[in-house]
Amino acid sequence: MALASLDRLSYWYPAGQSRVLDRVTLSISPGLTVLAGPSGGGKSTLLRVLNGLVPHFHGGRIAGSATVAGLDVLHTPTRRLARHVGFVFQDPERQAVYSTVEREVAFGLENLAVPSADMPARVEAALARAGASHLRERRLATLSGGERQRVAVAAALVLEPQIVALDEPTSQLDPEGVELVLEACRELAAAGTAVVIAEHRAAGLLDAGRLLLVDAGRLSAGSGRPYSVRPRPRARPHLEAWHLMGVSAGPAGRALLEGVGLAGGVGEVVALTGPNGGGKTTLLRCLAGLLPPLAGRVERRPGRVAYLPQDPAALLHRPTLREEVELTLRRAGEPARSAPILKRLGLGALSERYPRDLSSGERQRAALAAVLAGAPAIALLDEPTRGMDQRARGALAELLAEMREQGTAVVIATHDAELVAAVADRVVRVENGAARDQGAPAAATAVTLEPVPAELPA
Amino acid sequence: MSGRAVAAWSAACLLGVLLTTNPGYRALVLAACLASVLVGAGWRRARRLLAGVGVAVLAAVLLNFAFSHLGADALWALPDGWVLVGGPWTLEALVFGVASGLALAAAILAVAPLSLLLEPQQVVDALPAPLARTGAAAAASLNLVPGLGRSFMAISEAQRMRGWRPRGPASWAEVVVPAVLTAIEDSIQLAEAMEARGFGSGPRTRYRPTRATRADVLLFTAAGLSAVLLIAARALGQAADWQPYPYLTAPVLSALGVAACLPLFLPVWLWRSPR
Repeated sequence: MALASLDRLSYWYPAGQSRVLDRVTLSISPGLTVLAGPSGGGKSTLLRVLNGLVPHFHGGRIAGSATVAGLDVLHTPTRRLARHVGFVFQDPERQAVYSTVEREVAFGLENLAVPSADMPARVEAALARAGASHLRERRLATLSGGERQRVAVAAALVLEPQIVALDEPTSQLDPEGVELVLEACRELAAAGTAVVIAEHRAAGLLDAGRLLLVDAGRLSAGSGRPYSVRPRPRARPHLEAWHLMGVSAGPAGRALLEGVGLAGGVGEVVALTGPNGGGKTTLLRCLAGLLPPLAGRVERRPGRVAYLPQDPAALLHRPTLREEVELTLRRAGEPARSAPILKRLGLGALSERYPRDLSSGERQRAALAAVLAGAPAIALLDEPTRGMDQRARGALAELLAEMREQGTAVVIATHDAELVAAVADRVVRVENGAARDQGAPAAATAVTLEPVPAELPA
Repeated sequence: MSGRAVAAWSAACLLGVLLTTNPGYRALVLAACLASVLVGAGWRRARRLLAGVGVAVLAAVLLNFAFSHLGADALWALPDGWVLVGGPWTLEALVFGVASGLALAAAILAVAPLSLLLEPQQVVDALPAPLARTGAAAAASLNLVPGLGRSFMAISEAQRMRGWRPRGPASWAEVVVPAVLTAIEDSIQLAEAMEARGFGSGPRTRYRPTRATRADVLLFTAAGLSAVLLIAARALGQAADWQPYPYLTAPVLSALGVAACLPLFLPVWLWRSPR
């Protein structure tokens, strides 16, 4: 039984010349549907058709037809479709209205004027279905990323929708958080809800449902295939590029790191792993010189330090992507040639685009291009593959390998096991204020649609 | 804690500040607000707000001192030809500036508990039903505020790492522009998320109707009592305005006016438990 069906649906964003969705025909039934495909391919747009955010919230031009729960999407406002389609967004912090779990989950019920007496039971049921009952009394600010996304899932479920759409809900989560959310999705699908999830990290969902590929606005059946990413052993470098000596550091005078001693060499890639809130970003900021240590000393080799913050939007403010890259190069006193790095990261065709108009994965690559352009002595990258598709991650892995050969010392804070396996020389786990050197990375399993990309070592 | 009780207390404080220009009453109201905020929120949470209030008060005092050249007691004089600041700088203008600063500080601190002590949902619950949708939107905006601060920090750090250095006001555009753009994007995303959860569907209901506690009733009563006494004092001429020009005079306080301000100190007792 189809809960949603799209028939030759095409869509253009306002002022957009090309179709973001190109004659998409799709039928969604109870169970799990995974949307995969490159960044900017149309996954998020397709999800937004299901609850009418496209076209009602975003505007633009639409052709074809879409029906959800028997309602014509093109003529039914999102607030009515909200009764039938729950939606979970990428960033758990940017979708919360209230500050406590219970009220946050009840927000949708309040909007639909559900009688107050009925609400507590429905909130309880939604939290249970999302596996978040134990969080009911908590404040959102005290939750981990994975817990917050579970609350977001509960907030979507509380309206008892037939369809739940999730737009890259795990892109900012650590492995534990990812598993929490994916497990909730699997359970929902098993219970008869139609779960549609756009996700780059699809490995955990392959066996649970069908896989669809969305590329250039077109839809095709995908065939997910796991493959192994094996680390390439390298000799330890001799020259030291950076050194933390007994460093204690943290924001607002509170030490998140205690007495950390760590060093990295010229042309060495060090991956910092560990749970959200463990201190990876603090360590990177300390190394960048942005956060003075409370105790201990930080030493860096002379030269430019390239720093990628977690949020790519923190960097992007020039009218075009080309100018964004040229700004970095000009300030570094290097030739202002933006084309090579843009091409390397698959952004050549987007060089004259406004960076903030790009999709989340493209934005991430734009921010990477803006900081990695030229020849930095040290590159500090905080979650560099956030929201990036397989091909883009492969391109980044290649770029980092090249930078390593040229002598750049690279430090990456990441949850991406595949990237770690592909590029890291050494893994350091940062947790509970300590940094433990774990040596060479282990092999990781990645999932791809056919064929296996050549960029990642297979 | 009921949002309505806190709002009633805030309104009574604002009434005390706005009903008369007498700096004696304003100082009393300010003392009540300051003590309540410190007891309720604690120094750690309130210190940034208090620093901001201090800056605002200082600005009010300086502006009045520099630009108002009224009054008989000139402390010094600048040449008349100097735009705005030229002329005598008087003791009366300085004192009037201080009185205005008191009012400004009291007004800010009177409404501070609404954001410092209440959850966004408590503010929404305090609003009458016709304003519930506006309140929900306001609550959502309040939830974005901490993110804005973090975003500004992250942007200035990221730009610094790309070689940006603050050199004059124009250079700050490279931090302010992305910060504003990020704030707008966050707002749009939140609006999208609210729409996706049925916001704007029509009349709203509330999760759990709030029941007033004994403390809420006491606070309501104190706020009402203060407001009634203030209005009575004003009507009876016992809370008359104060005017420092052209000659400085001491403000006169009446027993009724002082009595009207005292109930505003009730939160110092009610909110004393650690938060």
